[in-house]
Amino acid sequence: MRVTLTVRPREKPFLPIEAETIVPRNFLDGTDTTVWRGNRELPLDAVFSVSVEGNAETAAEVEVVMRGDTALIKRVGEYMDAGRIVVEGDIGMHCGNFMSGGTIEIGGNADGWLGREMRGGSIICRGDAADYCASGYRGDKKGMTGGVVEVFGSVGDFAAEHLAGGTVIVHGSAGDMAGAEMHGGTLIIYGDCTRPCANMTGGTAFVHGTAYDMLPTFRRVGTIRREGRTFIQFTGDIANRGKGNLFVGDCRYMD
Amino acid sequence: MSELLIRNACVIDPINGIDGETMDIAIRDGRIVEDVNDSTAEVVDAGGALTLPGGIDSHTHICGTKVNFGRYMSPEDMRAGRTPRMGRMHATSGYSVPTTYGTSYRYSAMGYTTLLEGAMAPLEARHTHEEFLYTPLQDTLANTLFDGNWAVMEAVRDGDTKRVAAIIGWTLSAVKGFAVKLTNPGGTEAWGWGKNVSCIRDPVPYFEVTPAEMIQTIVRANELLHLPHSVHLHCNNLGTPGNYSCTIGSLGLIPDLNDRRQTLYATHVQFHAYGGSGWDDFCSRSEPIARFVNMRPQIVIDMGQVMFGKTTTMTADGPMEFNLYRLHHNKWSNHDVELETASGIIPVLYRRKNLVNSVMWAIGLELALLTENPWQCLLTTDNPNGAPFVRYPEIIGLLMSKRYRDAEFATVHPETGHRVPLPAIEREMDWHEIAVMTRSGQAKALGVLEIGKGHLGVGAEADVAIYPIRIDEVDPSVEYQKVVDAFRCTDYTIKRGRIVSRRGECLVDGNNTTVWVRPKISDSYDMVRDEEFVRKFDRYYTVRMSNYPVQEEYLRRNLWRRNLCIETEAEL
Repeated sequence: MRVTLTVRPREKPFLPIEAETIVPRNFLDGTDTTVWRGNRELPLDAVFSVSVEGNAETAAEVEVVMRGDTALIKRVGEYMDAGRIVVEGDIGMHCGNFMSGGTIEIGGNADGWLGREMRGGSIICRGDAADYCASGYRGDKKGMTGGVVEVFGSVGDFAAEHLAGGTVIVHGSAGDMAGAEMHGGTLIIYGDCTRPCANMTGGTAFVHGTAYDMLPTFRRVGTIRREGRTFIQFTGDIANRGKGNLFVGDCRYMD
Repeated sequence: MSELLIRNACVIDPINGIDGETMDIAIRDGRIVEDVNDSTAEVVDAGGALTLPGGIDSHTHICGTKVNFGRYMSPEDMRAGRTPRMGRMHATSGYSVPTTYGTSYRYSAMGYTTLLEGAMAPLEARHTHEEFLYTPLQDTLANTLFDGNWAVMEAVRDGDTKRVAAIIGWTLSAVKGFAVKLTNPGGTEAWGWGKNVSCIRDPVPYFEVTPAEMIQTIVRANELLHLPHSVHLHCNNLGTPGNYSCTIGSLGLIPDLNDRRQTLYATHVQFHAYGGSGWDDFCSRSEPIARFVNMRPQIVIDMGQVMFGKTTTMTADGPMEFNLYRLHHNKWSNHDVELETASGIIPVLYRRKNLVNSVMWAIGLELALLTENPWQCLLTTDNPNGAPFVRYPEIIGLLMSKRYRDAEFATVHPETGHRVPLPAIEREMDWHEIAVMTRSGQAKALGVLEIGKGHLGVGAEADVAIYPIRIDEVDPSVEYQKVVDAFRCTDYTIKRGRIVSRRGECLVDGNNTTVWVRPKISDSYDMVRDEEFVRKFDRYYTVRMSNYPVQEEYLRRNLWRRNLCIETEAEL
């Protein structure tokens, strides 16, 4: 079954829409659901023109396609457990919160908190992702625990903060404090970043480019060869008696 | 004139000696009266359900700077208990440290109508009163901290009990406090030097007074002021193995000075009843403490029960929270309140699989069960330190049912049995004892019977809780789950003659009262005229003395709010 949601032109396009109901499982029994704009609850077809092709027995057979100006549609795929969501353009904040299965594919850029506290499944973002990609939420000690987030562009600050499991792959560069407080899982950054893995206690992180403002609380272990490249291996964060592994292609300490 | 008639209520009112009698309760203008006009009064049919005076929590942390800091530093806690706006109810959030409305609604659903904030630093009283404004469904009172007060310690050093009384009297009426709280007396001042006091005979740096001298002098000063409540003591050395001897030493300092109520209220004694010399041989010493309390009518304690799960600990005991931080390595907040006290906050998770936590859980129950007189051991969790107050119904169930205790005991750390006497205790509390431990005992201990709290006699404030349970049909020792469910949510909670909560839904906006005390002190002991006091105040505080008091207008900024000042005749 394929559900296509095309955003209708809105009178005030800058008002975000809270759309945690856009989850494949919810479309098994029709598209009679609602989304919120501020304190207004709106039927789904007031915001989207909805078309449905075919039918499905299980959530895994449902594909949701979102078209049009989706940059301010928030919380799409929250608690998603199966199926597939394809976003052709940009997507708003908190896409894929707590998702435990299925796939989200984003053609454009993602706003903050992409895949926050994710438990499983996979998210692919062809553009950039903003801050707190695949991170934990305010105050909590455990972020993402499983699944894969792959971003082909760059990500903002605090990517993979509190990472506890699963894999985060960034093909571009990461901002400040990538992998802060991580205690499990794998973080791979193909570009550069600053201050990676502050206070990490476990897990593994690779920075193929240069780690700027490298933290002095990581102990240099040596160099290793991996995938035809040479990495400098660090362990830390020893400020927190951490035993994480950080591999960087190159690093610069703060002057 | 508003009238309300509650029909067929199965009343337990320990103060008036009513134990399970089915009767009608007549209410006019917020007070209980002999009778009302049957034809015009609003009628509530209780249908034989258990009806008690409104609940009173004699030690809870609900309002003030440190509570608010618990909110800031735990955004994850604010996510844990969210409820949307509904009817008259505001949206709420938070589990162990809810928003003020959340606190108020949840207490109200459990039938509580009066709350005592356990620790208010005088300097930060305004914040506490500000939050009281938004705790609309309960009357509020505030314990005021004097444990590290420089002027008090100097007067104690000089052996001048009357001066101690004068300082306490002035401060209480200035900050609109209700009673004297000592949190780790002396220790919070030593914390300003990065130290602590280990027990009651350790001198405080610089001031050279010992906690024992402070406790003894302040207890006497409290009686000179004729305050309604006694001194409210959080003993030294909280949470360390072997601290029970220090607790017994502190309780042993207390003479019997008052024939209407206790002379000392020792709070959250569970945290002060530990044996052993370290965490390896940590064990329960609830028996010697309960035996000690049984022999001394001048002492009332409360449980400070720990329940398993997530919560936040917050206390004025700064050094103790630092020790906890070193155990947990999680977030920690710490604060020093100028010339007065300290505070600290950390989030904790009490786990069944943890031996220490399991022993703590058992100790709270043992204290309640081994204290023979329920008027001497009140039910609290030291909310939220032992557990959030929403866990009270489970504690009631545990106290009423040996079978429930055994079922829970089977799930805790297997070593626990060797370290606690709980499995051997057969006592099961009855409805009357529970009523004492959750309302009447509190009213007597706080000295608020005279203002009509904690009973349902004619003239009392019409605070009533009707629980959906029939005591003649339920055997609490077997059907404990029904008891727990009934205490979770009242059919009706009535506050000063108005139905404020019906089956968990709160129906009205605020109508609460802040109760405070003003001892009448002669001019020769008026601290405002005392040159030395004023000079030191202006020298050391960051606020001017004239800006320090909380104005009375502050307490009644809303039209419907009331503030009730209890005036006492001080012997000064």
